[in-house]
Amino acid sequence: MTEFEPQILAFACHYCAYAAADLAGSMRLQYPPNVKVVHVPCSGRVDIIHILRAFERGVDGVFVAG
Amino acid sequence: MIVAEQKSLDEIKTMLAPYQKVLIVGCGTCVTVCFAGGEKEVAILASALRMATGLEGNPKQIMEATVQRQCEYEYNEAIADKLKEVDVVLSLACGIGVQTMNEQFPEMLTLPGLNTTFLGQPTEQGVWVERCQACGNCVLATTGGICPIARCSKSLLNGPCGGSQGGKCEIDPDVPCAWQQIYDRMKALGRLEALLEVAEAKDWRTSRDGGPRKIVREDLRLEK
Repeated sequence: MTEFEPQILAFACHYCAYAAADLAGSMRLQYPPNVKVVHVPCSGRVDIIHILRAFERGVDGVFVAG
Repeated sequence: MIVAEQKSLDEIKTMLAPYQKVLIVGCGTCVTVCFAGGEKEVAILASALRMATGLEGNPKQIMEATVQRQCEYEYNEAIADKLKEVDVVLSLACGIGVQTMNEQFPEMLTLPGLNTTFLGQPTEQGVWVERCQACGNCVLATTGGICPIARCSKSLLNGPCGGSQGGKCEIDPDVPCAWQQIYDRMKALGRLEALLEVAEAKDWRTSRDGGPRKIVREDLRLEK
């Protein structure tokens, strides 16, 4: 049996979390492919409807980083 | 504004049980500004219903629309075409909007998704309080602009009563005594002596006691 791999959608703030992810990329650090990043101008932009839509479309978890 | 609250998801799901295709119709006026039934709440409820019914193995088709003002026929005309595609309408307007939809589109049942609660005012972010009971005969001129009908638990016209303690109403320590507020306001206005005047029994026929109310403005009517 294959282990459950949750699909995670990450909303990342342009000024911190996304910058950190970008830096991680520059440093050639790896992160799991089941995390998909959505770049937002500010994590305050993330609304309940964005999170609900993500779940509706099949993700298992939403990560808001900012 | 008219203040309303959304019904529970369970109650809405039970109402919608016999139907497969649902149009949720929000209203862009009072219920939008009290965060109960505007475009955003329509989208959230639609998403929640799609997921909830999907998880139960019977995913419903949920469509969304919001009209500017659901209590007027002219605005609802904009969604007439969408009604042909659905089995039922769930309105996120106040009770007036729900009834307007049912009158205007008699072949389609419109169900209420909200509980219409009161006529009120937002006193701070996320808090609404009742301010008017639409009694049809405004007494604010004699009470310092504070309504004893809507804000006194007993709607007293000559208050306060013995249940007023420390400025609060006996029904709940969080409810201010409207008559204490009226007294304080009249004192600040230098008009305390006006409260010595005994208010006579109110004629409640202008309120709900006279049955459903109606206003006819002949000057505004179109000639028939």
